[in-house]
Amino acid sequence: MQEERAKLLRGYRMRYGLKIHVYGDFACFTRPEMKAERVSYDVLTPSAARGILEAIHWKPAIRWVVDRIHVLRPIRFTSIRRNEVGSKIAVANVRKAMKSGDIDGLVLDSAADRQQRAALVLRDVGYVIEAHFEMTNRAGPEDTPTKHAAMAARRAAQGQCFHRPCLGTREFPAEFRLVESLPPSELPEADRDRDLGWMLLDIDHADDARSLFFRAIMKNGVIEVPHPRAAEVRS
Amino acid sequence: MTILTALADHYDRLANQGEVPTFGYSTERIAAAVVLATDGRVVELRDLRAADGKRLSPIPIAVPASFKRSGTVPRAFFLWDNTKLVFGIGAAKKAEEEAAPSAGGIAAYPAHHGAFRARHQELLAGTDDPGLLALLRFVEAPPLDPQLLPSWWRRDLPDQNCVFQLHGDETAPGRPRFVHDRPAARRIWEAAADASAKTARCLASGRFGPIAKLHPAVKGVWGAQTSGASLVSFNQDAFESYGHVQGDNAPVGEATAFAYGTTLNHLLARGSRNRLQIGDASVVFWAHAASGDSVAAAAATEAEDMFALVMNPPPPNDAAEAAKLRDRLTAVVSGHAPAGALAAIDRSARFHILALSPNAARLSVRFWLESSFGEVLDRLAQHHRDLAIEPPPAPVWKQNPSVELLVRETALQERADNVLPHLAGEVLRAVLTGAAYPQSLLAGVIGRIRAGEDVNGLKAAICKAVLNRAARNADKTEMVLMSLSTTLKDPAYRLGRLFAVLENIQRAALGRLNASIRDRYYGAASATPATVFPLLLRGSNHHLSVLHKDTAKRGLAVWFETEIGEILKPLDPALPRHLNLEQQGRFAVGYYHQRAARKTDADAGADEAPGDDTQSTETAEG
Repeated sequence: MQEERAKLLRGYRMRYGLKIHVYGDFACFTRPEMKAERVSYDVLTPSAARGILEAIHWKPAIRWVVDRIHVLRPIRFTSIRRNEVGSKIAVANVRKAMKSGDIDGLVLDSAADRQQRAALVLRDVGYVIEAHFEMTNRAGPEDTPTKHAAMAARRAAQGQCFHRPCLGTREFPAEFRLVESLPPSELPEADRDRDLGWMLLDIDHADDARSLFFRAIMKNGVIEVPHPRAAEVRS
Repeated sequence: MTILTALADHYDRLANQGEVPTFGYSTERIAAAVVLATDGRVVELRDLRAADGKRLSPIPIAVPASFKRSGTVPRAFFLWDNTKLVFGIGAAKKAEEEAAPSAGGIAAYPAHHGAFRARHQELLAGTDDPGLLALLRFVEAPPLDPQLLPSWWRRDLPDQNCVFQLHGDETAPGRPRFVHDRPAARRIWEAAADASAKTARCLASGRFGPIAKLHPAVKGVWGAQTSGASLVSFNQDAFESYGHVQGDNAPVGEATAFAYGTTLNHLLARGSRNRLQIGDASVVFWAHAASGDSVAAAAATEAEDMFALVMNPPPPNDAAEAAKLRDRLTAVVSGHAPAGALAAIDRSARFHILALSPNAARLSVRFWLESSFGEVLDRLAQHHRDLAIEPPPAPVWKQNPSVELLVRETALQERADNVLPHLAGEVLRAVLTGAAYPQSLLAGVIGRIRAGEDVNGLKAAICKAVLNRAARNADKTEMVLMSLSTTLKDPAYRLGRLFAVLENIQRAALGRLNASIRDRYYGAASATPATVFPLLLRGSNHHLSVLHKDTAKRGLAVWFETEIGEILKPLDPALPRHLNLEQQGRFAVGYYHQRAARKTDADAGADEAPGDDTQSTETAEG
């Protein structure tokens, strides 16, 4: 019984899964603990991968789940320093303005409110994301897995997206291609097996925006990503 | 592995060796001990400071942990604090001082004293330990009046940290036991730990537990604020996400936060063997050894020492020491293990290097590397091979210049303050990962040369290293060699050589001048050779005719002419109109190589004068 179920799931994944090759000049998958002065994770996080897939195709009926991340290029860092805005406009102020109809106090002077922040970002990155989607409970009667799989594959093949996918932060755009087989890896042999430590898996918005972490181990350039509901992530 | 995880792991080893305080305690610099009688009276004020060069400076003592105190509401530490809270007296703030000058620049801080009293009354209620009771009676007394200071008060005391001691309480004669070390005090402190923190999975260790709200302050980073800066901080709205506040943005367990903060403070402490300063980056490094394994710990210490030696060779005190140092470093550079030191080094030990840069109250990570020690040594060796140049920079450092010296060559007046902020981190990254050197290194050095500084050995070595590594990465074969090459056809290199020959001709003919062609024409010659060299060649004819007239120097003149001919032969008669940065680098290297070349004995007519002149110039400027 277990075997049949596993085979069914594998088949499902193979039919409704995608392989997307993403690459770009710079990437910054910011570590949560180093957000002010950004330091990037060594590789693509599953959360960023999900963001790229959602930029290509997403409807409330589906939820993307990342299965595997292949690292194709060596991990290289570089450091840049930029001036960024230091504060946000508070949500309460926005609501007050909406209620009163008066936007007088609602201002953020970005020229005055500057912070200098350094960032340790990745250079020349290339990954292949293997993912599949699941139907959510907001799927209507005409939302079938086949339909969404076809839409996603077509859009990825044609390079269509709702907004340009990014590698961590919006200023680092991602190039993407749908692939059938893996492109050749440029990762040197010695670097293909690494323990990358605890990495952010995703943010669980259902549970007060709690962060989920998993132990990322790269074997032969591949990182297996657990399901967000899996025991090793939750317990 | 992540930065925080690696630091927290290192804490285990340090705690095993007893070099860091346990959880709940931190090492702070304390200036004085307030000695109390049992009724709370101050008996005396003991000065705990130790001599540090000419000044007295406070000593580090393990006290109940400090925490960040931001804002205006005063919060007291337990059983120690600075004089504002302990006595209610501190240095007057500048604005208040100007408004109403007080006696000796001291002002009263009643609110702070009140906070200190309230905290201790709350924590020490119901105790019966004589030391703690004495302290309780002391805090209940009114704060000191700045106008009427008691006899034991010292003028340099305001704003220093104080601990307490019960009069006569000593573990051994001359070794006082402070109130916070008394067993009763320890028990109270351990029980008072804050149990209200949320629990979540720590992102560094993976364990579930209470999450730190504010992360520890890291002191000792050059350029950061002295009260401590944070590696993990969310001190602006823009840094918070999803409505989380402060530490909830990045759940790190309290024990892990304490461990990494303590380790980082220990590694950055003054006089630590594990730190270097390169430009504006404070670099700490350590080797991993499982705690409890003393053999591995010894190998790790050896690895750290070797790294410190190679990155920042200390100036040797005498010739014997210099020779020993040179041997050790040559061994590292060539990769061969000599008898002794290197044989004991474990090349497979995991080595960590972290470079931190200050940004007011925050620290930014400039560089982080985690690899095997053997690989680090290999990269350092490669770096030194790239940097090697003939003639070597100066007799003083036949060993390898440190990265700090390299980076300072790009700065005005070679001051550390004038180094470009990112340059240090990028050069360190290039040296330790084998990546290409940053272009700004070459640009900085060429800029200094164009501004009139001499092309000394180190500048030429930097140009050569940057060019060679770039060429090697691009698989080009024509590289600049270590010593003078007469066969290299690159026009910029040959023009640099030509410039050196013309300068030598001028010096041979006219002797030392106030302004030689180097002072007047180097910049223009290296940037726009087509406009300058015809002028210089015309001028050199006059100098050569001067030499020809002197029968003793006629042979030298002929030699110079053949040199010029040999250099110019493969060049296109139309000289390049302008040279880009890389070509100016080659120009500088060619100039440096040729300047040191002398007429060999095979050529007729020995004339040592220009040769000696060059040599003495070398040693004077090198």
